[in-house]
Amino acid sequence: MDKQDILKQERNAAWRKELRDKIKNKERTGFTRVEMPEADPIERSRSYVEVNSGLSAEEAVLEARRCLDCANPTCITGCPVEINIPKFIKNIERGEFLESAKVLKETSALPAVCGRVCPQEKQCEASCFYTQKLKKPAVAIGYLERFAADYERESGNVSVPDVAESKNKKIACIGSGPAGLSFAGDMAKMGYDVTVFEALHQIGGVLKYGIPEFRLPNDVVDVEIENLKKMGVKFETNFIVGKTATFDDLKEEGFEAFFVGSGAGLPRFMGIPGENLVGILSSNEYLTRVNLMEANKEETDTPILKGRRVAVIGGGNTAMDSVRTALRLGAEKAMIIYRRSEEEMPARVEEIKHAKEEGVEFMNLQNPIEYIGDAKGYVRQARVQRMELGEPDASGRRRPVPVEGSEYLLDVDTVVVSVGVSPNPLIPQSVPDLKTTDWSTLVVEEDSLQTSVPLMFAGGDIVRGGATVILAMGDGRKAAKAMDEKLSGVAKSEVAADNK
Amino acid sequence: MADLKTKYLGLELKNPLLVGSSGLTASIDSIVKMVDYGAGGVVLKSLFEEEIILEHEKNMKEKLGSQESNLEFLDYFDYQLKENTFKKQRELIDEIKAKTDVPVITSINCYSVGEWFSYAKLLEDAGADALELNLYRIPSKINVTAEEILRGYSEIVKRVKEHVQIPVSVKLSPYFTDLGNIVSQFDLLGVDGIVMFNRFYSPDIDLENDRIASGPIYSSPNDYTDSLRWIAMLKEQVTCDLSASGGVHTPDTLFKMLLAGADSVQVVSTIYKNGPGYIRDLLSGVEKWMERKQLTNIEEVHRFGRKLVPNHGEVFERAQFMKYFGQHEQ
Amino acid sequence: MNKVVSKEFFSENVVRLEIEAPRIAKARRAGHFVIVRVDEKGERIPLTISGSDVAKGTITLVIQRVGVTSRKLAELEAGDTISDLVGPLGQATEVKKVGTILACGGGVGVAPLLPIVEANKKAGNRVISIIAARSKDLIILEEQIREYSDEVIVMTDDGSYGAKGLITEGMEKVINREKIDEAVIIGPAIMMKFASEVTRKHEIPSIASLNTIMVDGTGMCGACRVTVDGKTKFVCVDGPEFDAHKVDFDEMLMRLGGYKDFEKDANDRYLNQQK
Repeated sequence: MDKQDILKQERNAAWRKELRDKIKNKERTGFTRVEMPEADPIERSRSYVEVNSGLSAEEAVLEARRCLDCANPTCITGCPVEINIPKFIKNIERGEFLESAKVLKETSALPAVCGRVCPQEKQCEASCFYTQKLKKPAVAIGYLERFAADYERESGNVSVPDVAESKNKKIACIGSGPAGLSFAGDMAKMGYDVTVFEALHQIGGVLKYGIPEFRLPNDVVDVEIENLKKMGVKFETNFIVGKTATFDDLKEEGFEAFFVGSGAGLPRFMGIPGENLVGILSSNEYLTRVNLMEANKEETDTPILKGRRVAVIGGGNTAMDSVRTALRLGAEKAMIIYRRSEEEMPARVEEIKHAKEEGVEFMNLQNPIEYIGDAKGYVRQARVQRMELGEPDASGRRRPVPVEGSEYLLDVDTVVVSVGVSPNPLIPQSVPDLKTTDWSTLVVEEDSLQTSVPLMFAGGDIVRGGATVILAMGDGRKAAKAMDEKLSGVAKSEVAADNK
Repeated sequence: MADLKTKYLGLELKNPLLVGSSGLTASIDSIVKMVDYGAGGVVLKSLFEEEIILEHEKNMKEKLGSQESNLEFLDYFDYQLKENTFKKQRELIDEIKAKTDVPVITSINCYSVGEWFSYAKLLEDAGADALELNLYRIPSKINVTAEEILRGYSEIVKRVKEHVQIPVSVKLSPYFTDLGNIVSQFDLLGVDGIVMFNRFYSPDIDLENDRIASGPIYSSPNDYTDSLRWIAMLKEQVTCDLSASGGVHTPDTLFKMLLAGADSVQVVSTIYKNGPGYIRDLLSGVEKWMERKQLTNIEEVHRFGRKLVPNHGEVFERAQFMKYFGQHEQ
Repeated sequence: MNKVVSKEFFSENVVRLEIEAPRIAKARRAGHFVIVRVDEKGERIPLTISGSDVAKGTITLVIQRVGVTSRKLAELEAGDTISDLVGPLGQATEVKKVGTILACGGGVGVAPLLPIVEANKKAGNRVISIIAARSKDLIILEEQIREYSDEVIVMTDDGSYGAKGLITEGMEKVINREKIDEAVIIGPAIMMKFASEVTRKHEIPSIASLNTIMVDGTGMCGACRVTVDGKTKFVCVDGPEFDAHKVDFDEMLMRLGGYKDFEKDANDRYLNQQK
């Protein structure tokens, strides 16, 4: 039976039919999309409370009713890990919240995380029948996903997935970000003895050092990590594979295969004059200081620049996280400087909306070309050039073109450069046989995610450059499946990860 | 034996022949060959902001992924491409320095003021000895006036000069109403040299295949006269150095440029046609002329040339043929 | 968690800690550093490894009390633990037989200099070491440096020990006396700046080991960026050692000052708590 048949069969379950018959589609499409309850913008912009407070059970059920349980659920194809979306939503509609969470966990290792950070408007919700055919707001799939995952966590009844009998095979997973965690989870389910090596002192990778508390509370991540521990996954922090121990050392210690999910940890700068002045830092540094080192708290030792006039360069989620962090650190003026228009911003629509509500100034179609400092080397001004959008380029995006003579000086005391990251070079440096691309990502076989080194697989940003949490997780799953096939020496892909 | 040593942009050249910015000066092997055959210096192949933009667009198209999942990575990827470009340029400069003893002049062509000076700074940091601004763009917008264009160019030159310490030259086109004025404006802004003139990519129409094709790529041996005229006319009127470029195909033309007052002479097309070995012929040809006229060094060549061009080169200021100036019967 | 095995005061403000870290002890080479986080509230700071004992599974760190973290470290006793220690990080020193090495260490910079002196001596080089500090009580590791040096010159600013004067004066003397093939310079940024001016003048190839602000130490944050030969480099992954003549020390000094006010605040807060 292929995936489609399984979906069909599940859709034909009696309870699903019953639900469908209970309310007419016409009535369902008449309901309005639920609004996410949010903390007050003024208050939240000075605190680290989570902005979205989550749907109540009542709201969730109402929203779940909007889902038509389509015969051909296009939403699933919009999901990089193909969560059975109608099934989890219909479980919410009938009040089986724990069951709904289980459905999520069939394919996603971190549903509470994805419910919060996935760009649903570009993924599942973009493929929803409402968006595609009715031109109405999509079913709030992301909110519902978060609801089900949160409900399970808060119920204290977190289900630990079944783990197959131990295979007595040691597997090393390098990096504990979304790719690594998802890989480790799947491998543990299949009975492998997985150790996750993390360079930092906390587990979670970008989920910890990158995404702020007000968007993704650390507790949410920790619960998922605890779950993995319960499944037998071991974690070693403060361990840099390639430095603390080499791959050869680990092989000697009995590790048979490796998964590299070390992320894209090298911040990019723009190379413009004055960029090394004091007060100009990467978003990685800025966010790490606050999220990982808790520099915002009085009692910790790590310092942070609490700028009064903070400019964040970039239009991605990291830029939004940085500028909103600046507000929370007390900035009087927190600005986004982005060289295209809002429409082209890579950030999630919701993050842009939240940033605006909180008082972030959006200076779109502008780009810094130089920084000017004072005698002590502190940045004082940015020379900013205005841009206009030219013709759409080959990718369909309109290219920003500088407006000559439009430069002006902008007073700033802190600048956070958030123009993307490059893959971290530590792993390729320590394994010379590892093939890399021109942009220093690892070369992998597309289907198996196998690198140029035998029994070394890779996924997430070290392969992709810089993608979403969910895609990294998808890679982790894919690599786990391929690794298992390789290690077992048989093509038993059908039995592996999917039929849990 | 004639001494060909000269100074251009404050740099000591063993002779005034520079291999101009072109494919010939894009790789270390080719550059080493040029220098082995005697080139006094090289102007590296121009770095084009445009190339980086196009490369960025290509990446955007190919690597964006479904659901634009790679957007955050690619959004500012041009800066990464730029960094890589400069890394390569730096490696090239390092190699040239290690393998030859000639100064390295780098060349850039940008769109916007901001990029001009940021590229300039990066090239200085990469170890360039001097910078040639490949400034001209076809003024295709019909509502832009000459003043606006000049203001734009001046702004670029001013900013670049503010950001770098190394000497800066500007490569111009002959198509200005007020070319003399422009050169003197740049001179006042502290430009160290003017290169006359730029040669452009010219589109042409391919009648056989009904498509737009590239026009003639190489200069022709008769193209040198504009450079000759302007160098002769401006030599005494500006303080910056002058470099001849365009149509220098033979030792005779090269020598003529020096007589007109050029501090350096750039060659490209003739090397493409005759091979790098021709550099030797060009130089020995100049030496022969010098010996014949009993000139021992470049300074004497310049002085000798001055004598041929009295009163600010009155002859060169004539635009129309008249019996008095032209030997041709019309 | 890593246990402190032993502790020794070199002076009132300079302390040597021997810390259990078997993997790092085995993997580390001269020039490597570690990132330390003392406790749950602690910051992450880089410290050069000054020695290791593979058999015991320990590494040695030398700490000068300047800020909060170094104070906390200095107050640890044998048996205490530090919550996080990660490494070895950075590129190891390239040690070759080149002839005569002039090793210059200023203040607590003598600690990271020690493994380099040792490695160079073992590689068959003649090693002349100059160790300098403001005054006698700040001269550290003299014995250990002597063990691996052919000659040691001690200098203090105030003349309280060894020769009186700045390290640059000592360097000039040695350089004028004999041919130096390579210099290694480690110490406070300002000292490295002037010391490398001396070797530049005499055209002696020199390396400097930089100690900048870092957070993760793996290339992730970029706090440690310095300009070397006109190009931005990350000390944590590209360094910590660079061609001393190509480092923009002025910029580095400026960047080191970036968190001065905060450091002072944190320090004051810490001292208040101790009262």
